[in-house]
Amino acid sequence: MSYNTVYTENTLRTTTMAAYRKLESKSTQLLEKIRENLEQLNEKIDVMIEIQKHGHRELPENLPEALDVMTLLSLPDHLRKTAVTLCKLEEATADEVAEQTKRARAVESGYLNQLVVMGYMKKERRGRKAYFFVDKEG
Amino acid sequence: MVGKIIAVHSYKGGTGKTSLSVNLAASYARRGKKVCLMDLDFRAPSLHALFKDQKAEYWLNDYLNGICEIDKVLIDESKDHGNGGKLLVALANPSTEAIRDMTAKDRKWEMKALGRLLSLRSSLLNDGGLDYIILDTSPGLQYSSINAIVTADIVLVVTSLDASDINGSKRMTSELYDLFEKKTGILVNKVIADYLSSEKEQKKFDKHIKSVYSLPVLATIPCFCEVLRAAGDFIFSEEKPDHPFTETLDKLATKVEKF
Repeated sequence: MSYNTVYTENTLRTTTMAAYRKLESKSTQLLEKIRENLEQLNEKIDVMIEIQKHGHRELPENLPEALDVMTLLSLPDHLRKTAVTLCKLEEATADEVAEQTKRARAVESGYLNQLVVMGYMKKERRGRKAYFFVDKEG
Repeated sequence: MVGKIIAVHSYKGGTGKTSLSVNLAASYARRGKKVCLMDLDFRAPSLHALFKDQKAEYWLNDYLNGICEIDKVLIDESKDHGNGGKLLVALANPSTEAIRDMTAKDRKWEMKALGRLLSLRSSLLNDGGLDYIILDTSPGLQYSSINAIVTADIVLVVTSLDASDINGSKRMTSELYDLFEKKTGILVNKVIADYLSSEKEQKKFDKHIKSVYSLPVLATIPCFCEVLRAAGDFIFSEEKPDHPFTETLDKLATKVEKF
């Protein structure tokens, strides 16, 4: 094999690898995007379920709620755990809450969105992440 | 080791929460720990009567009202009561005006107060390096005491042998402490000496108490006239380090440490 052939083969290998990596990162990005979209869809479904359960009249605009201890006591067990954890963290993503409660991220995301619909918490999107917090001033 | 927050609570008043809180704090200080004792009974403040020599710039009420930070509230009693450790106290304002103000707070305020209490974990335990915060609460289901329970790692429920007290404490277990998934222990206080007159009697009594509560009983404390005579005027275990009451409290401190 001449020097030139080896050189060409190496260049070809490098170019192929680069192309492959580019493709790989693209597909990862695409999967990330799909996951994000699915999560947002999930959140929307959660909100719709809540609205269906309680009806529009009980939405937060009409019923400002304070997340005080008596309210915490009145919540169902699964939501109380999420709410108390958020009170402790002050502000957190579903991931951070899930880490504390040792429950699945998707589960916590559902509960947090439920609490938002009930008017006990607020949610704010910053970039790709959704942050939940207790609104102390509102 | 990260420090712990202990709430001392009871169903009824007059069970001895303050006396046990103070002496438990003193016991930890004696073993070289850094302790902060807080009076969260805003309806009937009591610690100011015991620690009357020094005054802080602000009351604990002011901290919860968002007027000042916690360092302005803390009084360092280590010189007089440290006994090798560190004892800080935070007092509730005993004036009638302050009590009236605290009882008229709304839900929004209570929610903020819970946030202020929860943030003590980072300011005093993580950054301040304290080993224990002991919260002396008001009896029953009240905002300030439930806020303290939510904040705490461990809840110590003081109960007498009064039937209504036992029933109330049992109800609070299922309707309060369990709901917040709190580590809870029972302290049976003011037990009549006859019940503990012999080892056999003591065992019988312990068995009875265990059957009543579904929770661990961390201490049975006999009723001592000497302790009553102290009348909240001095720290009993400090004045009488060899008294059986002091011994019981030291044992309790060890149990809570490992709890």
